[in-house]
Amino acid sequence: MTHTTCSHSAADIAVSVRDLRVTLGGQQVLRGVNIHLHRGQLVALIGPNGSGKTTLLRAMVGLQKPDSGDVRLFGESNLKKALPRVGYVPQRLALDRSFILSVREFLALRLRETQHWFWHRHRDTDDRLRAAMAELGAESLLDRPIAALSGGQLQRVLIVFALLKQPDLQLLDEPTAGVDSPGEESFYDLIGEVHRRHKLTVVLVSHDLSMVYRHASWVYALNGVVCCEGTPEHVMSADSLKEAYGLNVTPYQHHGHSHGPGGGTVQ
Amino acid sequence: MNIFSDIEPFMLRAFAVAVVMGPLCALLGVFVTARRMAFFSDTIAHGALAGIALGFLLGFEDPTWPMVLFSLLVAAAILWLKEHTDLLTDTIMALLLSGSVAFGIIVLSMLKNKRGELHRYLFGDILSVGPDDVWLAVVLCAAIGAWLFTKLSPLALLTASEDLAHVCGVRTRWLNYAFVLVLTVVVSLSIRLLGIILVTSLVVIPPAAARNLARNLRQQIILSLVIGLFGGAAGTVASYHWDIPCGPAIVMACIAVFIGSLLVSKLWLNRPTTA
Repeated sequence: MTHTTCSHSAADIAVSVRDLRVTLGGQQVLRGVNIHLHRGQLVALIGPNGSGKTTLLRAMVGLQKPDSGDVRLFGESNLKKALPRVGYVPQRLALDRSFILSVREFLALRLRETQHWFWHRHRDTDDRLRAAMAELGAESLLDRPIAALSGGQLQRVLIVFALLKQPDLQLLDEPTAGVDSPGEESFYDLIGEVHRRHKLTVVLVSHDLSMVYRHASWVYALNGVVCCEGTPEHVMSADSLKEAYGLNVTPYQHHGHSHGPGGGTVQ
Repeated sequence: MNIFSDIEPFMLRAFAVAVVMGPLCALLGVFVTARRMAFFSDTIAHGALAGIALGFLLGFEDPTWPMVLFSLLVAAAILWLKEHTDLLTDTIMALLLSGSVAFGIIVLSMLKNKRGELHRYLFGDILSVGPDDVWLAVVLCAAIGAWLFTKLSPLALLTASEDLAHVCGVRTRWLNYAFVLVLTVVVSLSIRLLGIILVTSLVVIPPAAARNLARNLRQQIILSLVIGLFGGAAGTVASYHWDIPCGPAIVMACIAVFIGSLLVSKLWLNRPTTA
Protein backbone atom coordinates (compact mmCIF):
# COMPACT_ATOMS: atom_id res chain seq x y z
CA MET A 1 0.00 0.00 0.00
CA THR A 2 1.24 3.50 -0.79
CA HIS A 3 0.12 6.61 1.03
CA THR A 4 0.84 10.24 1.65
CA THR A 5 0.64 11.77 5.09
CA CYS A 6 -2.12 14.04 6.37
CA SER A 7 -1.58 16.05 9.54
CA HIS A 8 -4.66 15.88 11.81
CA SER A 9 -5.13 14.95 15.46
CA ALA A 10 -7.10 11.84 16.51
CA ALA A 11 -9.96 14.00 17.84
CA ASP A 12 -10.53 15.25 14.30
CA ILE A 13 -11.38 11.81 13.01
CA ALA A 14 -14.95 11.49 11.71
CA VAL A 15 -14.78 7.87 10.56
CA SER A 16 -12.41 5.24 11.81
CA VAL A 17 -12.36 1.75 10.30
CA ARG A 18 -9.96 -0.86 11.65
CA ASP A 19 -9.21 -4.24 10.11
CA LEU A 20 -12.70 -4.53 8.59
CA ARG A 21 -13.49 -7.87 7.02
CA VAL A 22 -16.75 -8.60 5.19
CA THR A 23 -17.81 -11.74 3.32
CA LEU A 24 -20.64 -11.61 0.79
CA GLY A 25 -21.94 -14.73 -0.98
CA GLY A 26 -18.96 -16.76 0.23
CA GLN A 27 -16.47 -14.23 -1.15
CA GLN A 28 -14.38 -12.01 1.09
CA VAL A 29 -15.14 -8.53 -0.25
CA LEU A 30 -13.22 -6.58 2.37
CA ARG A 31 -10.02 -8.17 3.64
CA GLY A 32 -8.81 -6.02 6.49
CA VAL A 33 -9.60 -2.42 5.57
CA ASN A 34 -8.15 0.38 7.67
CA ILE A 35 -9.19 3.98 7.05
CA HIS A 36 -9.33 7.17 9.09
CA LEU A 37 -11.37 10.01 7.64
CA HIS A 38 -10.78 13.48 9.05
CA ARG A 39 -13.49 16.01 9.70
CA GLY A 40 -14.16 18.52 6.97
CA GLN A 41 -12.60 16.44 4.22
CA LEU A 42 -14.22 15.46 0.97
CA VAL A 43 -13.04 11.89 0.67
CA ALA A 44 -13.47 9.74 -2.44
CA LEU A 45 -13.50 5.95 -2.45
CA ILE A 46 -12.43 4.63 -5.82
CA GLY A 47 -11.78 1.17 -7.14
CA PRO A 48 -12.94 -1.32 -9.77
CA ASN A 49 -16.33 -3.05 -9.67
CA GLY A 50 -16.55 -5.49 -6.78
CA SER A 51 -13.70 -3.80 -4.92
CA GLY A 52 -15.88 -3.29 -1.84
CA LYS A 53 -16.55 0.48 -2.05
CA THR A 54 -20.31 0.22 -1.50
CA THR A 55 -19.84 -2.54 1.08
CA LEU A 56 -17.47 -0.30 3.02
CA LEU A 57 -19.93 2.61 2.89
CA ARG A 58 -22.77 0.36 4.04
CA ALA A 59 -20.64 -1.00 6.89
CA MET A 60 -20.04 2.59 8.02
CA VAL A 61 -23.76 3.04 8.74
CA GLY A 62 -24.45 -0.47 10.04
CA LEU A 63 -26.21 -1.70 6.89
CA GLN A 64 -23.56 -4.36 6.38
CA LYS A 65 -22.58 -6.58 9.27
CA PRO A 66 -18.82 -7.23 9.26
CA ASP A 67 -17.20 -10.59 9.97
CA SER A 68 -14.71 -8.78 12.17
CA GLY A 69 -13.19 -5.36 12.65
CA ASP A 70 -14.32 -2.10 14.10
CA VAL A 71 -16.17 0.92 12.69
CA ARG A 72 -16.46 4.14 14.67
CA LEU A 73 -18.26 7.33 13.71
CA PHE A 74 -17.01 10.37 15.64
CA GLY A 75 -15.39 7.97 18.11
CA GLU A 76 -18.69 6.16 18.76
CA SER A 77 -18.65 2.39 18.23
CA ASN A 78 -22.44 2.10 18.70
CA LEU A 79 -23.34 3.21 15.18
CA LYS A 80 -27.02 3.67 16.01
CA LYS A 81 -26.09 6.47 18.39
CA ALA A 82 -24.01 8.19 15.73
CA LEU A 83 -26.56 7.84 12.90
CA PRO A 84 -28.44 11.10 13.70
CA ARG A 85 -25.24 12.90 12.66
CA VAL A 86 -25.09 11.07 9.33
CA GLY A 87 -26.72 11.78 5.97
CA TYR A 88 -26.78 8.87 3.53
CA VAL A 89 -27.55 8.88 -0.17
CA PRO A 90 -27.97 5.32 -1.49
CA GLN A 91 -27.02 4.35 -5.04
CA ARG A 92 -30.65 4.08 -6.11
CA LEU A 93 -34.14 3.69 -4.72
CA ALA A 94 -36.12 0.70 -5.98
CA LEU A 95 -39.38 2.61 -6.00
CA ASP A 96 -42.56 1.05 -7.29
CA ARG A 97 -44.50 3.28 -9.66
CA SER A 98 -47.65 2.68 -7.63
CA PHE A 99 -46.03 4.36 -4.61
CA ILE A 100 -47.19 7.93 -4.94
CA LEU A 101 -45.21 9.52 -2.10
CA SER A 102 -44.62 13.15 -3.08
CA VAL A 103 -41.26 14.85 -2.64
CA ARG A 104 -42.79 17.08 0.06
CA GLU A 105 -44.05 14.03 1.98
CA PHE A 106 -40.75 12.23 1.52
CA LEU A 107 -38.78 15.15 2.94
CA ALA A 108 -41.25 15.51 5.81
CA LEU A 109 -40.37 11.95 6.90
CA ARG A 110 -36.87 13.16 7.79
CA LEU A 111 -37.81 15.75 10.41
CA ARG A 112 -39.28 15.17 13.83
CA GLU A 113 -41.50 18.25 13.55
CA THR A 114 -43.03 17.05 10.27
CA GLN A 115 -43.34 13.34 10.95
CA HIS A 116 -47.09 13.72 11.45
CA TRP A 117 -47.41 14.95 7.88
CA PHE A 118 -50.61 13.00 7.37
CA TRP A 119 -52.55 15.08 9.85
CA HIS A 120 -51.34 18.60 9.16
CA ARG A 121 -49.13 20.76 7.02
CA HIS A 122 -46.97 22.93 9.22
CA ARG A 123 -46.24 26.30 7.63
CA ASP A 124 -42.79 26.74 9.21
CA THR A 125 -41.56 23.30 8.27
CA ASP A 126 -43.04 23.71 4.82
CA ASP A 127 -40.92 26.85 4.49
CA ARG A 128 -37.91 24.87 5.69
CA LEU A 129 -38.48 22.14 3.11
CA ARG A 130 -38.93 24.77 0.41
CA ALA A 131 -35.72 26.59 1.41
CA ALA A 132 -33.75 23.34 1.47
CA MET A 133 -35.03 22.42 -1.99
CA ALA A 134 -34.33 25.91 -3.31
CA GLU A 135 -30.70 25.62 -2.16
CA LEU A 136 -30.22 22.73 -4.56
CA GLY A 137 -32.36 24.30 -7.29
CA ALA A 138 -35.10 21.72 -6.95
CA GLU A 139 -37.95 23.74 -5.44
CA SER A 140 -40.25 22.99 -8.37
CA LEU A 141 -40.16 19.28 -7.57
CA LEU A 142 -41.89 19.53 -4.17
CA ASP A 143 -45.28 18.26 -5.32
CA ARG A 144 -44.02 15.63 -7.77
CA PRO A 145 -44.17 11.92 -6.84
CA ILE A 146 -40.63 10.72 -6.10
CA ALA A 147 -41.20 7.63 -8.27
CA ALA A 148 -41.69 9.94 -11.28
CA LEU A 149 -38.41 11.85 -10.92
CA SER A 150 -35.48 11.45 -13.31
CA GLY A 151 -32.20 10.06 -11.96
CA GLY A 152 -30.65 13.49 -11.50
CA GLN A 153 -33.76 14.98 -9.88
CA LEU A 154 -34.01 12.05 -7.46
CA GLN A 155 -30.35 12.41 -6.47
CA ARG A 156 -30.91 16.09 -5.69
CA VAL A 157 -33.94 15.21 -3.56
CA LEU A 158 -31.94 12.52 -1.75
CA ILE A 159 -29.19 15.03 -0.99
CA VAL A 160 -31.75 17.53 0.34
CA PHE A 161 -33.24 14.71 2.43
CA ALA A 162 -29.82 13.88 3.87
CA LEU A 163 -28.99 17.54 4.56
CA LEU A 164 -32.28 18.40 6.29
CA LYS A 165 -31.03 17.24 9.68
CA GLN A 166 -27.79 19.17 9.20
CA PRO A 167 -25.53 16.12 9.44
CA ASP A 168 -21.81 16.26 10.22
CA LEU A 169 -21.06 13.40 7.87
CA GLN A 170 -22.53 12.93 4.39
CA LEU A 171 -22.12 9.57 2.65
CA LEU A 172 -22.88 9.32 -1.06
CA ASP A 173 -22.86 6.02 -2.93
CA GLU A 174 -22.18 6.76 -6.60
CA PRO A 175 -24.31 9.90 -6.57
CA THR A 176 -24.20 10.31 -10.35
CA ALA A 177 -25.22 6.72 -11.14
CA GLY A 178 -28.57 7.83 -12.58
CA VAL A 179 -27.44 11.18 -13.94
CA ASP A 180 -26.80 11.76 -17.65
CA SER A 181 -23.30 12.79 -18.75
CA PRO A 182 -23.88 16.56 -19.15
CA GLY A 183 -25.42 16.70 -15.68
CA GLU A 184 -22.60 14.82 -14.00
CA GLU A 185 -20.10 17.66 -13.82
CA SER A 186 -22.55 20.19 -12.42
CA PHE A 187 -23.66 17.54 -9.96
CA TYR A 188 -20.16 17.13 -8.57
CA ASP A 189 -19.86 20.93 -8.47
CA LEU A 190 -23.05 20.92 -6.39
CA ILE A 191 -21.64 18.33 -3.98
CA GLY A 192 -18.46 20.40 -3.66
CA GLU A 193 -20.54 23.50 -2.96
CA VAL A 194 -22.63 21.67 -0.34
CA HIS A 195 -19.40 20.40 1.27
CA ARG A 196 -17.96 23.92 1.53
CA ARG A 197 -21.16 25.66 2.60
CA HIS A 198 -22.18 23.17 5.29
CA LYS A 199 -18.61 22.39 6.41
CA LEU A 200 -19.38 18.70 6.17
CA THR A 201 -17.24 15.64 6.05
CA VAL A 202 -18.22 14.05 2.74
CA VAL A 203 -17.45 10.50 1.67
CA LEU A 204 -18.36 9.60 -1.88
CA VAL A 205 -18.01 6.47 -3.91
CA SER A 206 -17.21 7.28 -7.51
CA HIS A 207 -16.07 5.78 -10.78
CA ASP A 208 -15.34 9.15 -12.34
CA LEU A 209 -11.65 9.69 -11.65
CA SER A 210 -11.50 13.12 -13.26
CA MET A 211 -14.26 14.40 -10.98
CA VAL A 212 -12.54 12.83 -7.98
CA TYR A 213 -9.36 14.62 -9.04
CA ARG A 214 -11.14 17.98 -9.16
CA HIS A 215 -13.17 17.82 -5.97
CA ALA A 216 -11.76 15.33 -3.45
CA SER A 217 -9.28 16.40 -0.81
CA TRP A 218 -8.33 12.81 0.02
CA VAL A 219 -8.70 9.59 -1.94
CA TYR A 220 -8.76 5.93 -0.96
CA ALA A 221 -8.21 3.39 -3.74
CA LEU A 222 -9.80 0.10 -2.74
CA ASN A 223 -9.57 -3.40 -4.06
CA GLY A 224 -10.58 -5.57 -1.13
CA VAL A 225 -7.97 -3.73 0.90
CA VAL A 226 -6.81 -0.12 0.75
CA CYS A 227 -4.31 -0.20 -2.12
CA CYS A 228 -3.30 3.41 -1.72
CA GLU A 229 -4.47 6.60 -0.10
CA GLY A 230 -3.52 10.22 -0.28
CA THR A 231 -4.13 13.42 -2.13
CA PRO A 232 -5.74 13.07 -5.57
CA GLU A 233 -2.42 13.96 -7.20
CA HIS A 234 -0.70 11.12 -5.40
CA VAL A 235 -3.39 8.45 -5.81
CA MET A 236 -4.09 9.33 -9.43
CA SER A 237 -0.53 8.55 -10.44
CA ALA A 238 -0.52 5.76 -12.97
CA ASP A 239 1.36 3.41 -10.64
CA SER A 240 -1.08 3.87 -7.76
CA LEU A 241 -4.07 3.29 -9.98
CA LYS A 242 -2.48 0.25 -11.54
CA GLU A 243 -2.06 -1.13 -8.03
CA ALA A 244 -5.76 -0.52 -7.26
CA TYR A 245 -7.29 -1.53 -10.56
CA GLY A 246 -4.68 -3.94 -11.84
CA LEU A 247 -5.12 -2.24 -15.21
CA ASN A 248 -3.60 0.54 -17.23
CA VAL A 249 -5.35 3.88 -16.90
CA THR A 250 -5.28 6.37 -19.70
CA PRO A 251 -5.26 10.04 -18.69
CA TYR A 252 -7.68 12.29 -20.50
CA GLN A 253 -8.81 15.90 -20.50
CA HIS A 254 -12.29 16.25 -18.96
CA HIS A 255 -14.43 19.12 -20.20
CA GLY A 256 -11.43 21.29 -20.83
CA HIS A 257 -9.93 20.82 -17.37
CA SER A 258 -6.33 19.73 -17.34
CA HIS A 259 -5.73 16.99 -14.82
CA GLY A 260 -2.62 15.44 -13.39
CA PRO A 261 -1.22 12.22 -14.64
CA GLY A 262 -4.03 10.18 -13.17
CA GLY A 263 -7.06 12.31 -14.06
CA GLY A 264 -8.91 9.99 -16.37
CA THR A 265 -11.05 6.95 -16.66
CA VAL A 266 -10.40 3.30 -16.22
CA GLN A 267 -9.79 1.57 -19.52
CA MET B 1 -89.23 2.90 14.09
CA ASN B 2 -85.91 1.16 13.88
CA ILE B 3 -84.74 1.12 10.26
CA PHE B 4 -82.74 -2.03 10.97
CA SER B 5 -85.76 -3.93 12.35
CA ASP B 6 -86.64 -5.44 8.96
CA ILE B 7 -83.13 -6.55 8.21
CA GLU B 8 -81.94 -9.99 9.14
CA PRO B 9 -79.38 -9.99 12.03
CA PHE B 10 -76.87 -12.01 9.98
CA MET B 11 -77.02 -9.29 7.35
CA LEU B 12 -76.33 -6.56 9.90
CA ARG B 13 -73.37 -8.53 11.25
CA ALA B 14 -71.95 -9.00 7.76
CA PHE B 15 -72.48 -5.29 7.04
CA ALA B 16 -70.70 -4.29 10.27
CA VAL B 17 -67.72 -6.54 9.54
CA ALA B 18 -67.54 -5.33 5.91
CA VAL B 19 -67.52 -1.61 6.76
CA VAL B 20 -64.82 -2.20 9.39
CA MET B 21 -62.56 -4.62 7.51
CA GLY B 22 -62.97 -2.86 4.16
CA PRO B 23 -61.13 0.35 5.15
CA LEU B 24 -58.59 -1.59 7.25
CA CYS B 25 -57.67 -3.87 4.33
CA ALA B 26 -57.54 -0.82 2.04
CA LEU B 27 -55.21 1.07 4.38
CA LEU B 28 -52.88 -1.92 4.64
CA GLY B 29 -53.18 -2.31 0.89
CA VAL B 30 -51.58 1.08 0.21
CA PHE B 31 -48.31 -0.30 1.55
CA VAL B 32 -48.92 -3.87 0.33
CA THR B 33 -49.20 -2.70 -3.30
CA ALA B 34 -46.30 -0.25 -3.06
CA ARG B 35 -44.09 -2.93 -1.49
CA ARG B 36 -45.15 -5.49 -4.15
CA MET B 37 -46.62 -7.79 -1.52
CA ALA B 38 -49.95 -8.61 -3.23
CA PHE B 39 -48.83 -12.17 -3.99
CA PHE B 40 -47.61 -12.47 -0.40
CA SER B 41 -51.11 -11.54 0.78
CA ASP B 42 -52.61 -14.11 -1.60
CA THR B 43 -50.24 -16.81 -0.34
CA ILE B 44 -51.08 -16.31 3.32
CA ALA B 45 -54.80 -16.29 2.42
CA HIS B 46 -54.43 -19.66 0.68
CA GLY B 47 -52.29 -20.89 3.59
CA ALA B 48 -55.39 -20.39 5.73
CA LEU B 49 -57.08 -23.30 3.96
CA ALA B 50 -54.58 -25.73 5.46
CA GLY B 51 -55.21 -24.13 8.87
CA ILE B 52 -58.97 -24.52 8.47
CA ALA B 53 -58.59 -28.18 7.49
CA LEU B 54 -56.24 -28.84 10.41
CA GLY B 55 -58.66 -27.08 12.76
CA PHE B 56 -61.48 -29.39 11.69
CA LEU B 57 -59.19 -32.41 11.88
CA LEU B 58 -58.28 -31.49 15.47
CA GLY B 59 -61.96 -31.18 16.36
CA PHE B 60 -62.41 -27.39 16.38
CA GLU B 61 -66.01 -26.40 15.57
CA ASP B 62 -64.82 -22.89 14.68
CA PRO B 63 -61.42 -23.07 12.96
CA THR B 64 -60.67 -19.30 13.20
CA TRP B 65 -57.63 -19.60 15.46
CA PRO B 66 -56.02 -22.58 13.68
CA MET B 67 -56.60 -20.63 10.45
CA VAL B 68 -54.84 -17.50 11.78
CA LEU B 69 -52.01 -19.56 13.28
CA PHE B 70 -51.39 -21.51 10.09
CA SER B 71 -51.40 -18.30 8.03
CA LEU B 72 -48.79 -16.90 10.42
CA LEU B 73 -46.78 -20.10 10.00
CA VAL B 74 -46.90 -19.69 6.21
CA ALA B 75 -45.83 -16.02 6.53
CA ALA B 76 -42.94 -17.02 8.82
CA ALA B 77 -41.95 -19.78 6.36
CA ILE B 78 -41.85 -17.24 3.49
CA LEU B 79 -39.62 -14.90 5.50
CA TRP B 80 -37.33 -17.71 6.68
CA LEU B 81 -36.90 -19.22 3.21
CA LYS B 82 -36.27 -15.75 1.76
CA GLU B 83 -33.48 -15.10 4.26
CA HIS B 84 -31.91 -18.55 4.28
CA THR B 85 -32.11 -19.75 0.68
CA ASP B 86 -31.29 -18.34 -2.76
CA LEU B 87 -34.82 -19.06 -4.03
CA LEU B 88 -36.76 -16.22 -5.65
CA THR B 89 -39.56 -14.84 -3.47
CA ASP B 90 -42.17 -15.68 -6.13
CA THR B 91 -40.97 -19.28 -6.24
CA ILE B 92 -41.16 -19.58 -2.45
CA MET B 93 -44.69 -18.16 -2.40
CA ALA B 94 -45.94 -20.33 -5.28
CA LEU B 95 -44.55 -23.37 -3.47
CA LEU B 96 -46.23 -22.54 -0.17
CA LEU B 97 -49.50 -21.46 -1.79
CA SER B 98 -49.96 -24.64 -3.79
CA GLY B 99 -48.68 -26.79 -0.91
CA SER B 100 -51.14 -25.27 1.56
CA VAL B 101 -54.10 -25.61 -0.82
CA ALA B 102 -53.21 -29.22 -1.68
CA PHE B 103 -52.80 -30.13 1.99
CA GLY B 104 -56.06 -28.38 2.95
CA ILE B 105 -58.10 -30.07 0.20
CA ILE B 106 -56.69 -33.54 0.99
CA VAL B 107 -57.49 -33.18 4.70
CA LEU B 108 -60.98 -31.78 4.03
CA SER B 109 -61.71 -34.61 1.56
CA MET B 110 -60.84 -37.07 4.32
CA LEU B 111 -63.30 -35.41 6.72
CA LYS B 112 -66.52 -36.52 5.06
CA ASN B 113 -68.85 -34.29 7.11
CA LYS B 114 -66.75 -31.17 6.37
CA ARG B 115 -66.57 -31.34 2.58
CA GLY B 116 -69.20 -28.58 2.27
CA GLU B 117 -66.97 -26.25 4.27
CA LEU B 118 -64.51 -25.97 1.38
CA HIS B 119 -66.92 -23.89 -0.71
CA ARG B 120 -67.75 -21.60 2.24
CA TYR B 121 -64.13 -20.78 2.93
CA LEU B 122 -63.05 -20.52 -0.68
CA PHE B 123 -65.75 -18.00 -1.63
CA GLY B 124 -66.82 -16.58 1.73
CA ASP B 125 -70.15 -16.99 3.49
CA ILE B 126 -72.20 -14.16 4.86
CA LEU B 127 -74.08 -16.56 7.13
CA SER B 128 -70.91 -17.64 8.89
CA VAL B 129 -70.26 -14.18 10.40
CA GLY B 130 -71.23 -14.53 14.06
CA PRO B 131 -71.61 -11.88 16.81
CA ASP B 132 -68.11 -12.67 18.09
CA ASP B 133 -66.71 -11.99 14.63
CA VAL B 134 -68.22 -8.50 14.70
CA TRP B 135 -66.57 -7.67 18.01
CA LEU B 136 -63.30 -9.19 16.89
CA ALA B 137 -63.39 -7.08 13.71
CA VAL B 138 -64.15 -3.86 15.60
CA VAL B 139 -61.42 -4.39 18.23
CA LEU B 140 -58.95 -5.47 15.57
CA CYS B 141 -59.75 -2.50 13.37
CA ALA B 142 -59.36 -0.03 16.26
CA ALA B 143 -56.05 -1.54 17.44
CA ILE B 144 -54.45 -2.15 14.05
CA GLY B 145 -55.79 1.08 12.55
CA ALA B 146 -54.34 3.10 15.46
CA TRP B 147 -51.00 1.26 15.14
CA LEU B 148 -50.86 1.86 11.39
CA PHE B 149 -51.54 5.58 11.78
CA THR B 150 -48.79 5.96 14.39
CA LYS B 151 -46.39 4.11 12.07
CA LEU B 152 -47.28 5.92 8.84
CA SER B 153 -43.96 7.77 8.60
CA PRO B 154 -41.67 4.79 9.33
CA LEU B 155 -43.78 2.64 6.98
CA ALA B 156 -43.59 5.23 4.20
CA LEU B 157 -39.83 5.50 4.67
CA LEU B 158 -39.45 1.71 4.76
CA THR B 159 -41.44 1.49 1.52
CA ALA B 160 -39.25 4.14 -0.13
CA SER B 161 -35.97 2.53 0.96
CA GLU B 162 -35.08 0.10 3.73
CA ASP B 163 -31.52 1.44 3.75
CA LEU B 164 -32.66 5.04 4.20
CA ALA B 165 -35.12 3.98 6.87
CA HIS B 166 -32.31 2.24 8.77
CA VAL B 167 -30.04 5.30 8.60
CA CYS B 168 -32.95 7.45 9.83
CA GLY B 169 -33.24 5.27 12.93
CA VAL B 170 -36.22 3.06 11.94
CA ARG B 171 -35.98 -0.46 13.37
CA THR B 172 -36.54 -1.92 9.91
CA ARG B 173 -36.42 -5.61 10.79
CA TRP B 174 -38.92 -5.21 13.61
CA LEU B 175 -41.25 -3.05 11.49
CA ASN B 176 -41.12 -5.54 8.60
CA TYR B 177 -42.13 -8.39 10.89
CA ALA B 178 -44.84 -6.32 12.58
CA PHE B 179 -46.30 -5.38 9.18
CA VAL B 180 -46.36 -9.01 8.03
CA LEU B 181 -47.99 -10.05 11.32
CA VAL B 182 -50.71 -7.41 11.01
CA LEU B 183 -51.33 -8.20 7.33
CA THR B 184 -51.59 -11.92 8.06
CA VAL B 185 -54.07 -11.46 10.89
CA VAL B 186 -56.26 -9.03 8.91
CA VAL B 187 -56.26 -11.13 5.73
CA SER B 188 -57.01 -14.40 7.50
CA LEU B 189 -59.84 -12.87 9.52
CA SER B 190 -61.39 -11.32 6.39
CA ILE B 191 -61.66 -14.75 4.79
CA ARG B 192 -65.03 -15.40 6.50
CA LEU B 193 -66.58 -12.58 4.52
CA LEU B 194 -64.74 -12.65 1.20
CA GLY B 195 -63.32 -16.13 0.93
CA ILE B 196 -59.76 -17.27 0.34
CA ILE B 197 -59.87 -16.61 -3.40
CA LEU B 198 -61.20 -13.06 -3.21
CA VAL B 199 -59.79 -11.66 0.03
CA THR B 200 -56.66 -10.15 -1.57
CA SER B 201 -58.85 -8.06 -3.85
CA LEU B 202 -59.98 -5.96 -0.87
CA VAL B 203 -56.31 -5.30 -0.11
CA VAL B 204 -55.34 -4.50 -3.70
CA ILE B 205 -58.26 -2.85 -5.52
CA PRO B 206 -59.08 0.16 -3.26
CA PRO B 207 -55.45 1.43 -3.20
CA ALA B 208 -55.19 0.81 -6.95
CA ALA B 209 -58.36 2.85 -7.59
CA ALA B 210 -57.13 5.56 -5.21
CA ARG B 211 -53.78 5.61 -7.02
CA ASN B 212 -55.58 6.61 -10.22
CA LEU B 213 -56.94 9.76 -8.59
CA ALA B 214 -54.41 10.72 -5.92
CA ARG B 215 -51.53 13.15 -6.31
CA ASN B 216 -49.71 12.17 -3.12
CA LEU B 217 -49.64 9.46 -0.46
CA ARG B 218 -51.95 11.35 1.89
CA GLN B 219 -54.65 11.54 -0.78
CA GLN B 220 -54.13 7.88 -1.69
CA ILE B 221 -54.60 6.79 1.94
CA ILE B 222 -57.77 8.87 2.40
CA LEU B 223 -59.28 7.72 -0.92
CA SER B 224 -58.37 4.08 -0.21
CA LEU B 225 -60.16 4.24 3.14
CA VAL B 226 -63.25 5.74 1.49
CA ILE B 227 -63.25 3.19 -1.37
CA GLY B 228 -62.71 0.29 1.07
CA LEU B 229 -65.63 1.53 3.16
CA PHE B 230 -67.83 2.00 0.09
CA GLY B 231 -66.90 -1.40 -1.38
CA GLY B 232 -67.68 -3.18 1.90
CA ALA B 233 -70.99 -1.36 2.40
CA ALA B 234 -72.21 -1.44 -1.22
CA GLY B 235 -71.20 -5.09 -1.64
CA THR B 236 -73.08 -6.34 1.40
CA VAL B 237 -76.16 -4.24 0.58
CA ALA B 238 -76.13 -5.52 -3.03
CA SER B 239 -75.65 -9.06 -1.74
CA TYR B 240 -78.73 -8.75 0.49
CA HIS B 241 -80.82 -6.88 -2.06
CA TRP B 242 -80.17 -9.16 -5.05
CA ASP B 243 -79.45 -12.34 -3.11
CA ILE B 244 -75.98 -12.78 -4.54
CA PRO B 245 -72.81 -13.99 -2.77
CA CYS B 246 -71.38 -11.30 -0.49
CA GLY B 247 -67.65 -11.65 -1.26
CA PRO B 248 -67.99 -11.36 -5.03
CA ALA B 249 -70.46 -8.46 -4.58
CA ILE B 250 -67.88 -6.52 -2.49
CA VAL B 251 -65.18 -7.22 -5.07
CA MET B 252 -67.43 -6.09 -7.95
CA ALA B 253 -68.29 -2.87 -6.08
CA CYS B 254 -64.56 -2.16 -5.68
CA ILE B 255 -63.90 -2.98 -9.33
CA ALA B 256 -66.68 -0.61 -10.41
CA VAL B 257 -64.96 2.16 -8.45
CA PHE B 258 -61.62 1.19 -9.99
CA ILE B 259 -63.02 1.44 -13.53
CA GLY B 260 -64.62 4.77 -12.68
CA SER B 261 -61.35 6.09 -11.22
CA LEU B 262 -59.42 4.94 -14.29
CA LEU B 263 -61.84 6.73 -16.62
CA VAL B 264 -61.72 9.91 -14.52
CA SER B 265 -57.92 9.72 -14.41
CA LYS B 266 -57.51 9.28 -18.17
CA LEU B 267 -60.38 11.38 -19.51
CA TRP B 268 -60.85 14.13 -16.95
CA LEU B 269 -57.65 14.55 -14.96
CA ASN B 270 -55.56 13.63 -18.03
CA ARG B 271 -53.08 12.01 -15.65
CA PRO B 272 -50.06 10.59 -17.46
CA THR B 273 -48.47 7.37 -16.26
CA THR B 274 -45.13 7.84 -14.52
CA ALA B 275 -42.15 6.67 -16.55
